Amino acid sequence: MNLSRLAGDAVQYLFVGIAAFLSVFPFAWMVISSTNTSIDILGGKATFGQAFAANVGNFFAQVDAPLVFWNSAKVAVMATVLTIAISSLAGYGFEMFRSKTRDRVYSMVLLTLMVPFAALMIPLFMMMAKSGLIDTHIAIVLPGIASAFIIFYFRQSTKAFPVELRDAAKVDGLKEWQIFLYIYVPVMRSTYAAAIIIVFMASWNNYLWPLIVLQSNETKTITLVVSSLASAYNPDFGVVMIGTILATLPTLFIFFVMQRQFVQGMLGSVK
Amino acid sequence: MIYSRKGAYCALIGASLLLSTSAMAGEITVWCWDPNFNGAIMQEAGARYAARHPETTIKVVDFAKGDVEQKLQTALASGTTQALPDIVLIEDYGAQKYLQSFPGAFAALSDKVDHAAFAPYKVKLMTVDGTVYGMPFDTGVAGMFYRKDYLEAAGFKPSDMENITWDRYVEIGKAVVEKTGKKMVAIDPNGADLIRIMMQSQGKWYVDDQDNLTITDNPALRASLEVEGKLINAGVVKTLSGWTEWAGSIGSGDVATVMSGVWITGTIKAQADQFGKWGVAPIPSFSADGKGHASNLGGSSWYVLDASAEKDEAIDFLNEIYGKDVDFYQKILTERGAVGSLLAARTGDAYSTADDFFGGEKVWQRFATWLAEVPPVNYGAFTTEIDTAVMAHLPDVLKGEPLDDVLKSIEAQAQGQIQ
Repeated sequence: MNLSRLAGDAVQYLFVGIAAFLSVFPFAWMVISSTNTSIDILGGKATFGQAFAANVGNFFAQVDAPLVFWNSAKVAVMATVLTIAISSLAGYGFEMFRSKTRDRVYSMVLLTLMVPFAALMIPLFMMMAKSGLIDTHIAIVLPGIASAFIIFYFRQSTKAFPVELRDAAKVDGLKEWQIFLYIYVPVMRSTYAAAIIIVFMASWNNYLWPLIVLQSNETKTITLVVSSLASAYNPDFGVVMIGTILATLPTLFIFFVMQRQFVQGMLGSVK
Repeated sequence: MIYSRKGAYCALIGASLLLSTSAMAGEITVWCWDPNFNGAIMQEAGARYAARHPETTIKVVDFAKGDVEQKLQTALASGTTQALPDIVLIEDYGAQKYLQSFPGAFAALSDKVDHAAFAPYKVKLMTVDGTVYGMPFDTGVAGMFYRKDYLEAAGFKPSDMENITWDRYVEIGKAVVEKTGKKMVAIDPNGADLIRIMMQSQGKWYVDDQDNLTITDNPALRASLEVEGKLINAGVVKTLSGWTEWAGSIGSGDVATVMSGVWITGTIKAQADQFGKWGVAPIPSFSADGKGHASNLGGSSWYVLDASAEKDEAIDFLNEIYGKDVDFYQKILTERGAVGSLLAARTGDAYSTADDFFGGEKVWQRFATWLAEVPPVNYGAFTTEIDTAVMAHLPDVLKGEPLDDVLKSIEAQAQGQIQ
């Protein structure tokens, strides 16, 4: 009996261990590789080396890092602010206001989740080109601000929002936008935190659409720059690793800062 | 008052968001990949042209290679010419796909550029119905790099590596494995690099000049598959997967020879601890008559977009620098290790320099000689797709299945993939 439980535990730990190794290894490899020369990385050297300073120097010599990070940050912040504003309003609206057509419209919004981006790419590109928005950062942000996923996420969370709060506020004479701003937003804090993390990360790591829209060195985001560095005949993998680490830091930072709210938000804002 | 100020702010913010970096007159935009190679070379070319034509500036924008293709495809497919650059770099194997899929998208250069001055094979790959559409750029003329120390240990002198046949190569490989414990060559069984080199050395490709698929009736492909099968079954091959592992096998000293395009020279010379240990010879041939030792792997060329507002300027720029400037080719060879395909460039000083890394051998001159001998072939529009079909059936070759049957299966799969 004990023996079989021990075996069960062993299998569990083995499985968890393998899963942990698989998730941590690429990150560890990235950090270790950033201290090695390109040749050592190709040779599979798995220990720390002395080339970190040289790699950092080469990265900043080859890449206009302040500009590139400014571009990425600008896009991510714009996307986060606009997406959260529009989509949370929509989620609130879909749940609060009853009408016959509500769920039909809602299903259509959800249907957009089923269309793969590749199918939208060329029509979207033509729209942006006609509007003269090619090579602008706003063109990256606009197609995503009414995000079906975030609308869905807010509507689901709003189901737990006590309607009595809204009724009480109405009795006290608050207008709808005041209820949203002063009652709903504070109560749904954790939902907002989780949504911010999701949108910010998705936008920071976004690759295909920025690639299609952006046309010049002055507008490029970090993902495009790292990709270009890696696509050389003799790539300097040390430099690529530095770029990858720097590109990872902001998402790590924002996740760790908001981790508690994120977990709460995923579990539901209102208890 | 307040409202008008607000309005002004809105307009200002709107304008700054909408502002696009549209090209100025006299500014030629170039898309390419590899900022330290293609990008840097284009900057050098731009600086040379601007010195003589101060009104022109060259703006180089680099993306990953797949990204350049993706952007080009999207812009061409959507018909949005305003989103296109003036000049774009296209890999030679993919040139026909773009030229045939988007007729009229690229400027015809036949009347503007003297294409006879370039290696013939580079011109053929950019020709559609007798019209030449590109400016030939770097070549992937192939060679065999070999470790002198390993081969010496196995009992071979550098002269034993000159103008050998593939059968002889397999024999030497067996001796190397036996005496040194090293493998003869590294091959990624999922990549068709070696097949491409062997096939072009025989003046053939997956398609004929009329773009008809030639697989079952292709003796060159048949012979190439046979040799690859022999090599692997003889145990002289280190099989691995992916470019990174393949390049890693050079640094780790696991293999005695490297069969690749001239552009691999930079990677080999980066192995400082292997100084003086490498030699260069022509790739092996399928015949013993001293012919068929020239081939190619990779390379790319410049194309001007026909809708470009700076079309004439862009063509003039390419023609003046890439089409005529021999000194430019010396500089990019010395600084970037780029071997161009302008035949006249080979007479320059940089090409006759002896390279101490290769024990004083005039490596560039050797490649430059082979450059003119690379057999011109029609790459067609589907090289990557057919590669996949070929490599999918390599295991059948290794199992010893009759080659005629294997070729039939390849043809069937390739037919399916290119439709």
